[in-house]
Amino acid sequence: MKPVSLLLLACAWSGVLSAQIDRSRAPQPGPAPEITIGKSHVEKLENGLTVIVVEDHSLPQVSWSLSLDFVPMPEGPKAGASRMAGELLRAGTRTRSKAELDEAVDFIGARLSTSASGAFASSLTKHSATALSLLAEVVLTPTFPEAELEKLRAQNLSGLKALATDPGGISGNLRGRLVHGASHAYGEVETEATVKAIAREDLQMYHAGFFRPSVAYLVVVGDITPAAGVAAAKQHFGAWKDETVPQFAFPVAAAPRGNRVCFADIPGSVQSTLHLTHGLDIKPGHPDAIACAVMNTLLGGGAFGSRLMQNLREDKAFTYGARSSFDLDPVHGTFDAFANVRNEVTDSAVVEFLAEIRRVRDEKPSVEELGAILRYMNGGFARSLEQPETVARFALNIERWDLPKDYYATYLKKLAAITPDDVQRVAKLYLRPENLYITCVGNRAEVAEKLVRFDADGAVEYFDAFAAPVKDLAPAPAGLTVQEVINTHYTACGGTAATQLKSLRWVGTAEFGPQSAGNYTREVLFGKGHRIQLRAGDMTLLDQIVTPEFGSQTRKGAGTKAMEDSEMVPFREALAANRLVAAAAAATDALVAGIGSFEGRDVHVVEWTDAPGFSRRLEFDAATGFLVRETRMPPGEDTAVVTVFRNYTKFGGVFVATEEETTTAGRTITLRFTAVEPNAAVDSQPFTAR
Amino acid sequence: MRSILPVSGLLLGVPGLLWAQTPKVSYVEFDLANGLHVILHEDHSTPIVAVTVMYHVGSKNESPERTGMAHFFEHLLFEGSEHIGRGEFDSYVEGAGGALNANTTQDRTFYYELLPSNQLELGLWLESERMLHAKIEPIGIETQREVVKEEKRQRYDNQPYGMLLPKTMEHAYREHPYRWTPIGSMDHLNAASFEEFMEFYRTFYVPNNAVLSIAGDLDPAKTRKLIEKYFNDIPRGTRPIPRPELREPKRSGEIRETVYGKDALPMVVQAYPIPEQGSDDFYAVAVLNQLLSGGESSRLNKRVVDTDQTALYCGAFNFSLEDPGLTLAYALVNMGVEPKTVETAINEEVARLQTTPVDERELQKVKNQIETEFVTANSSVAGIAESLANYHMYFGNAALINTEVDRYLAVTPADIQRVAKTYYTQDQRVTLYFLQQPAQP
Repeated sequence: MKPVSLLLLACAWSGVLSAQIDRSRAPQPGPAPEITIGKSHVEKLENGLTVIVVEDHSLPQVSWSLSLDFVPMPEGPKAGASRMAGELLRAGTRTRSKAELDEAVDFIGARLSTSASGAFASSLTKHSATALSLLAEVVLTPTFPEAELEKLRAQNLSGLKALATDPGGISGNLRGRLVHGASHAYGEVETEATVKAIAREDLQMYHAGFFRPSVAYLVVVGDITPAAGVAAAKQHFGAWKDETVPQFAFPVAAAPRGNRVCFADIPGSVQSTLHLTHGLDIKPGHPDAIACAVMNTLLGGGAFGSRLMQNLREDKAFTYGARSSFDLDPVHGTFDAFANVRNEVTDSAVVEFLAEIRRVRDEKPSVEELGAILRYMNGGFARSLEQPETVARFALNIERWDLPKDYYATYLKKLAAITPDDVQRVAKLYLRPENLYITCVGNRAEVAEKLVRFDADGAVEYFDAFAAPVKDLAPAPAGLTVQEVINTHYTACGGTAATQLKSLRWVGTAEFGPQSAGNYTREVLFGKGHRIQLRAGDMTLLDQIVTPEFGSQTRKGAGTKAMEDSEMVPFREALAANRLVAAAAAATDALVAGIGSFEGRDVHVVEWTDAPGFSRRLEFDAATGFLVRETRMPPGEDTAVVTVFRNYTKFGGVFVATEEETTTAGRTITLRFTAVEPNAAVDSQPFTAR
Repeated sequence: MRSILPVSGLLLGVPGLLWAQTPKVSYVEFDLANGLHVILHEDHSTPIVAVTVMYHVGSKNESPERTGMAHFFEHLLFEGSEHIGRGEFDSYVEGAGGALNANTTQDRTFYYELLPSNQLELGLWLESERMLHAKIEPIGIETQREVVKEEKRQRYDNQPYGMLLPKTMEHAYREHPYRWTPIGSMDHLNAASFEEFMEFYRTFYVPNNAVLSIAGDLDPAKTRKLIEKYFNDIPRGTRPIPRPELREPKRSGEIRETVYGKDALPMVVQAYPIPEQGSDDFYAVAVLNQLLSGGESSRLNKRVVDTDQTALYCGAFNFSLEDPGLTLAYALVNMGVEPKTVETAINEEVARLQTTPVDERELQKVKNQIETEFVTANSSVAGIAESLANYHMYFGNAALINTEVDRYLAVTPADIQRVAKTYYTQDQRVTLYFLQQPAQP
């Protein structure tokens, strides 16, 4: 048989079932469908209420959503009052009790919900007039019955108990407090005390102040015409009296000076709820908003193909899901990258999060990667239009944020125009991987210490479930004094051999970062002078001299300059071989604060104030006596200087740490000493010459 | 499940319900020669299409020594195929402007792609690759094993009251495979061999055990041709498909257990066995549950949350399962209240249903609620595609998408009283208290 016939036969066979297909390649798409946004009708009533109607008859239902647009009020000791007011709107009106309202809503199979910032009702078309009248009734004539308030209060107090084991709830409290600040409405945390402090008058005042038509939007969606929707709105809300709504301005929390690790403990937890987050000062509708959305989608905004998901889930298998959000807000927005990860890999996950946030900032995405993200977002936009609520939301956003009328009509065009440069530009502008909060809710005993290295001042801060700082220490043994702790350190260092040294020289290397290192020498002629020299090859990068009389610093390329007194404080202190003895004696408030933990070992924690404003915390290994960490907090700053001392080694009868790691504002310098010479011959000439 | 969504409907209420007077969902259906059942629903209002495949395999088809296999397999089937590289399922779909995911229950595994309608063929190609020759490699197995362990930690171990469902199922079923949940045992997953995975694939992932349900902006005739192009050459499965024939034996007395955990407030859970979904009594029990906890005015809510103020919230619902399932009631107990107080209140509300017929107005109320739920259920093409597949897979009748509501509406006060007496008996009840582990002295 000839080949041709064979082929024919094969076709005849397979033709019964199907044509042969090439499975090895993805099929080509057809022509792209046109994406159209449905119409919306916007009309303002005389009292200021804006009515938005989106007509859609595909299902026989209508929804009525009333939303209020104002800057929320900080509630301070009554945090939770506005939330309670919102919930209790439907707990009784001038004409109906809660039970009567519930029965009326349920009988027509409707939904009715209320909150601090609005109310919502939906029902089948045949019941929509009743649903709207119920909505208007709870919005306009709530009575906040005392009994209902007490019932809700009791439930809330129970709920606050349940929070102790809810990682999501605890994390939310912590992030709000840190990112927005304690005096910001977004940073307030409800506690037993605040919930107990709320009175019926607070709810009434909230309602009277903020539930006003000039800040309200009634969004009507579904099986109704614009004319009927507006007429119904007028009938129910036309007589709603307007008043000026109180305005508030309050500061947002400043960004942290370096990264801060903030931890809340759930003992026995098997996962860490990890967030890397900071505030954003970019408002909805900003010209960068779409580029920011693209940047966030690429980083971790929902797709399986996002970098965080691919790295932390599909590659490392650290988590079930890693994502990021970039939320614009008229008051204060939030960037957040987050995942739940198992205890053992919590620190590794932080490394990957930081690396991915930096990568989106430091490198342009490829055209291919960006193209896929843009197509993904284009598709998501198109899909969202299946729900008429999306069209209504667009109209609402245009009104409340004063966006151009064609903002959404031209959205896809604007999206398609985003370039790799745009993505990197906004990442540089808005992401702050060196100034963010790393919050972790999880198993402190297994996880917390491993996160120390990500903290700019080398100290993890601990919080309770309500974002209140918790004292991190166990009580010190009774009778233990500061003097004893310091003496134990010097005894461990060699006793008088250490405290009566004439001089000391350290020789080794200094590392500043992945590519920066030099040869480091430190010489102290006790009582006379302190000198640090840093060299790279033959080049001297730094030569610093401090004596009781003067201090000078010579930097390569910057010449020599005199040092400020404040800069010289630690070096002058180091002119004494037993520097801690005098420093502690000079303080009036030195105390043994308690027993803490450092790298898994118990430490005695000593604290005092040096000069006005300077504070110091010293941690001594409880077993060996050695100083292992020293934290100095300069006045007026929130970035401490933290030095960790490791590997105490004996040199001629004296024990000296051969590794010193100093961190400040997110930067770390590591000194490693290869030779330490007690009573070395140190040249005194530089300490006298001026 | 690959996304951050609950595995089952627990705490979410009853599934979508239907009502006669709303617009009918139209569809066509046919079988391919290899046994693949296809359902197509045409709706051009938005230029999108949902391509879905439902496989009739869930955790109840697993061996007791290999629990978690069906769900784990769902993860593996995103790893790739003969022609789709590792991770490319995601990049093909998302790069085409789509979204994708999957989920696994006790009874079935469901995959879907939501695509721009001009990418329909892409979805068919991907799903046919998954069905014909998925590629399962050690690196994917190792990675997804860790991912699933994180899923378990996130959803169950580290989730407040996360053990509620697994513990309830464990006590409510002593014999039937519903006694374990889809997430299964991590030890079992560790022990499973490559050969077992392949065996599972060849047994269950065959066209004659699947429904291809597509809804959206499509032309049925053209779509049928494309389906034949991609799915006709997939061979019919030849192995017998194991389905549990065992029925949970009637128990000889009430089961009462206390489960200790971290959570501060007590939770009370009650479960009674009920007939499988689709039976007359199943619908009567569903309506009974709606009376108990449908809305703020419902009997149980009014009793324990509003009047007694002994609970923070409560619920009652049918746990819909293919084999005989459960009706569940639960309540989160207020601080300082004895769980027994809430349990007694629930029992009293059930007893009231047993002794006194519900009046017409109250019955009308819950039927109105059911009517609304049904309308909302059909608001997306993705939801319609899934409902059609469900109705075909469980009942062999996709038309139920338009008619199942009649079953609910047919329920009478006498039915409710009868099922309350028949199924809500103390000797068949499982009562669980979830309490905080007392501090160690």
